[in-house]
Amino acid sequence: MRGGARRAPTIDGVSSYAEVRPEQRTTFARYRHSLWLLTQRDLRVRYSTSMLGYFWSILDPLVMAGIYWFVFTQVFQRTVGNEPYIVFLLSALLPWMWFNGTVSDCTRAFLREAKLIRSTRIPRTIWVNRLVLSKGIEFVASIPVLLLFAVAAGAEVSAGAALFPLAILIQTILTAGIGLIVAPLVVFFRDLERAVKLILRFLFYASPIIYGTADLPAELQFWAGFNPLSGLFSLYRAAFFPEQLDWTLVLISAVMSVLFLVVGLVVFTRTERAVLKEI
Amino acid sequence: MSAPVITLTGVGIRFRRNRRGRRSFKDLFAARRRRIRPGEFWALRDVSFTVQRGEAIGVVGRNGQGKSTLLKLVTGVVLPDEGSVRVTEGVAPLIEITGGFVDDLTVRENVYLTAGLHGMTRRQIADRFDEIIAFAEIADFVDTPYKHLSSGMKVRIAFAVISRLEEPILLVDEVLAVGDKAFREKCYRRIEELLAGGRTLFFVSHNERDLKRFCTRGLYLDKGALVLDAPITEVLALYNSQYGIKPA
Repeated sequence: MRGGARRAPTIDGVSSYAEVRPEQRTTFARYRHSLWLLTQRDLRVRYSTSMLGYFWSILDPLVMAGIYWFVFTQVFQRTVGNEPYIVFLLSALLPWMWFNGTVSDCTRAFLREAKLIRSTRIPRTIWVNRLVLSKGIEFVASIPVLLLFAVAAGAEVSAGAALFPLAILIQTILTAGIGLIVAPLVVFFRDLERAVKLILRFLFYASPIIYGTADLPAELQFWAGFNPLSGLFSLYRAAFFPEQLDWTLVLISAVMSVLFLVVGLVVFTRTERAVLKEI
Repeated sequence: MSAPVITLTGVGIRFRRNRRGRRSFKDLFAARRRRIRPGEFWALRDVSFTVQRGEAIGVVGRNGQGKSTLLKLVTGVVLPDEGSVRVTEGVAPLIEITGGFVDDLTVRENVYLTAGLHGMTRRQIADRFDEIIAFAEIADFVDTPYKHLSSGMKVRIAFAVISRLEEPILLVDEVLAVGDKAFREKCYRRIEELLAGGRTLFFVSHNERDLKRFCTRGLYLDKGALVLDAPITEVLALYNSQYGIKPA
């Protein structure tokens, strides 16, 4: 049994092991603790190295929104989307930045942190989930900008705004699932890093960001439904444009997201052993 | 006798010889295999032993015989391809100790991050913070970004943090080869203190004097197999008779 050593007098400020060891917390609490530490670190690094950290994370989607707004309202006659178009754009563009940023960072999730992964034993899914979380926090921090534009452009906030948390939940599941697939595979197939960037660019136009799913030709709408981002963005847009909400799409999106997460967890656990040897 | 704190049963792990080898999807997802493919080799095979709480174990062997891999398996940063590794208590690994430190963050932030990742709460770290800094002798650099420290300072602060983790098992790889003599001696005294406090120690070194100083039991690894598990003096004697220079 435990005994003897524990009651030994402390020598020169050194306590015996049982006295001051880290509290034995539950696995879940430890997971959360480590996840939060790394997320904080991500945000801190980003904001301590550039003076305008928050500003930059907002500026990117704003510039893009500005360009599309100009092209589609000033150059061309816009036939897609709703009025005010800038709010219509931003309400999908900001969540897209979260999705896009996380998935493209996941391609380097293991490679960039190789040293740290080789020296600590924390559950390896944290290396993906911390990206989902830190980009998610940036997304939440950008919501005031969306509201600002909504007020300025005179968009009305509808009851659909109550669905925002649901949309965030679905997106978290979807992004984590895809991240768990991408992150380990890139370690073995480095080319995948470029392929993912390319797919993301395609996905930007294949998803209802500059348009709404209802604007697509009827025969394409069926296939667009299988893009989990279609339902997701319609859910976000419900906050300002109730007619954009399509529960069928949302349901498909939710089911697909859970599927991605399951596949992601399987891929991740099956490849974990090989990943640790490779990095 | 109480339950062992570390139990390895038939542990084996294999690596690929060349990083550029072909790899297929099927390969990647295959469950644990007992056979090896061309281009692979067993870094460790059929290693079994148990460690009781409070033991001090020295791992002996030539370069590339699996010593560091064994430590990594016990730490849990690599997973075995066969057999099982069971560690029932927390581990403070002095392997690649500077790995967890981030260049852009200050020393203070890094201490909180690394100790936190090893499971300490903010309050626990705050209680020990001054001690850690004093041990590393870098009080003037607490708010300096980590990247601006000298390489000696980096190792010092890293050792100071890991050795204050208060974990019951301490793993020491040959990290202490760097750093000046005075600091190395300080580290060794710290390890002795920890041992006196009832810690379990796993020590990898080529230095016979250090091994004899800390360890009572030795593990001799050769060609990926555990050749001898005996008191450290016997292990060193066998090692010397096979590879060493005759003691003068």
